[in-house]
Amino acid sequence: MKRILIIEDDLLISSLVQFRLKKDGYETFLVSDGNEGIKAIDALVPDLIITDVMMPFRSGIEIIHHARQSQPDIPIIVLSSLGEEEQVVLEAFNLGVADFIPKPFNPNELAIRVKRILK
Amino acid sequence: MKKILPWFIVFLLFFLPGVIQAQSQIIPEDSIGFRDFLIVQKEVPGLSYRYVLGEKSISDELASDSIYQFSKTDTGYVSRLISDFDLAERLENRLVADSLDYQLVYFVFSNLSSHESTYEYLANLIRNGDYQVKFDEDGPKEDLVSLASKAPYSPLQKFKLRFFSDYQLFGVTLVIFFFFLVALGMIVFMLVMKARKNKRENLLKEYERIIIDPLTSLLFEKELKEIQEMDQNEIEFYFPQTLLSKSLYKDVLVERIIGLNKRMKGEFKDKLKSLYKKLELDKNSMDLLRNKKWDRVTMGLVQINEMDLVEALPEVKKFTNSSNFHIRSQAVAILLNLSDQVDLTFLRDQTFPISLWQQMNYLRIIRFASLQKDLKLEVLFDSQNSSIRIFGYKLVRMLGRMDLIGVLSSIAGGVAEEEKIEILETYSTLGAHMEVDFINECLHAQNPNLNLAAAKAASVLGNSESAEILFGLIKSETSFGNKLHYLKSLYELDREKFDQATLDNSSNEILKIKDHILDPMLQNV
Repeated sequence: MKRILIIEDDLLISSLVQFRLKKDGYETFLVSDGNEGIKAIDALVPDLIITDVMMPFRSGIEIIHHARQSQPDIPIIVLSSLGEEEQVVLEAFNLGVADFIPKPFNPNELAIRVKRILK
Repeated sequence: MKKILPWFIVFLLFFLPGVIQAQSQIIPEDSIGFRDFLIVQKEVPGLSYRYVLGEKSISDELASDSIYQFSKTDTGYVSRLISDFDLAERLENRLVADSLDYQLVYFVFSNLSSHESTYEYLANLIRNGDYQVKFDEDGPKEDLVSLASKAPYSPLQKFKLRFFSDYQLFGVTLVIFFFFLVALGMIVFMLVMKARKNKRENLLKEYERIIIDPLTSLLFEKELKEIQEMDQNEIEFYFPQTLLSKSLYKDVLVERIIGLNKRMKGEFKDKLKSLYKKLELDKNSMDLLRNKKWDRVTMGLVQINEMDLVEALPEVKKFTNSSNFHIRSQAVAILLNLSDQVDLTFLRDQTFPISLWQQMNYLRIIRFASLQKDLKLEVLFDSQNSSIRIFGYKLVRMLGRMDLIGVLSSIAGGVAEEEKIEILETYSTLGAHMEVDFINECLHAQNPNLNLAAAKAASVLGNSESAEILFGLIKSETSFGNKLHYLKSLYELDREKFDQATLDNSSNEILKIKDHILDPMLQNV
């Protein structure tokens, strides 16, 4: 069973994503801030990371930096309401994220992208 | 105030008798007792006395006494001013032995003072703590029991005497007591508020936690049609009525559904909107419109806008002319956003001037709405509010509505000069060459700002007549800035006329402007 780490400070959003991904048979883990996210990446070594950008303590960009150094092979999907900010999107892609999904988003669309990446 | 008054009276009743009783019991009121009291005191600051003898002749021994130093007056003899009352007793014994007529006279700070005034002076000294009373060390000469029987018995009299008679101590104690009372009250108030806040925060967290599961289940397990067809029992299965009756729970639900609606798209948005109505949260939003607080009304309007509550539009329309800036801005934005057929009459009828921020906000919505709906912008030209009319002219420009140039042309001659400036800019942006006569007319106006706007429009749309007018304006203009603008317009419009204007004129200023215009490096400076 593939393991997906969801790093998102909005509990309702992360729960919705978790519910949708569980339906597809993934094992999911939720953390709600940047510090916890970094710890979880090292402890869980997930198959995929879904992260927000604006979060308490550490931003999503810092998390991607950390993941690229410690676990360079883990694909990352950025799920952020900063989708209209070109600088953030470019920085994320320069760091090698697999996908960038701007909010508002459709959880079904996210599930399809996750499936494609983990195939 | 009514509650304080009785307490104040009680305070006075305690205080006043205490003071009077204290004086009367320490200092005897009768003259002999008073004198005996002073003898015990020996010396009192500021207080002195002398003996006045009503005799024509006294013994030589008394007359030459070095202690009392009697001197002769018209009516008899007077002693010197003596401050030691211990001497009085001895002298009085001698005067009584010689059967002499005498009188004891008091002086306060060397001024003659009556018995009552002297008594009051001494009482004040004692009351203010400026004098410490001495008592006869030998004790009362009378029987202690018979002395005690003279004093009426009253419980706690001693306490009353010492505490209530000292009004300064009593006052300070009262202030300290109230201070501690207020401090204690504030601490209790803060603790209560903190406890309430904690309770509310805990409840919020709890509600946020318990709404996740039902919301998630409904969004992923039910189709839109199923949600729309849910009955009350099914709804209560997910969201119990006991919780729905609590306003805090409803607030959390509204906030979370609106939050999700912003972050999600596609079918989920429709499901959330349907759920919002099924839970009757739309009624909650409508109720907010009837609230007296402007921030609650604005919150209701935002909820209506976010959840596309079209049925609330008649209510929303009532707020388009609200005196509150936020309310009317939000109401107009909703009408522009949600109305199927946008009738801009509500904007036309606004009596308050619209700010640049509002114009920017409305423009964003109108630009989006104009792609899907037919907007009758021309109704804005009929507004009684000049800021609305000006906004209408700007909209023609921003939305590229060439079809409205004819309407503008028909009204341009009769509008205020500020509006003419906006119309000129619209003509210029849209390239309305047929309006050159209006531009030339504005070039002749007395208002320099209108002249400048017309010159700018003439640089794009002008003809030979415009060039002639500009030529004339350059000759008569005295302001450097205006000359620069006119010359720039003329340069764009007619190069020959520009050369003529700069050659004919030998003014150093004109030559500098010419150099500036012709220098390609300074074109955008």
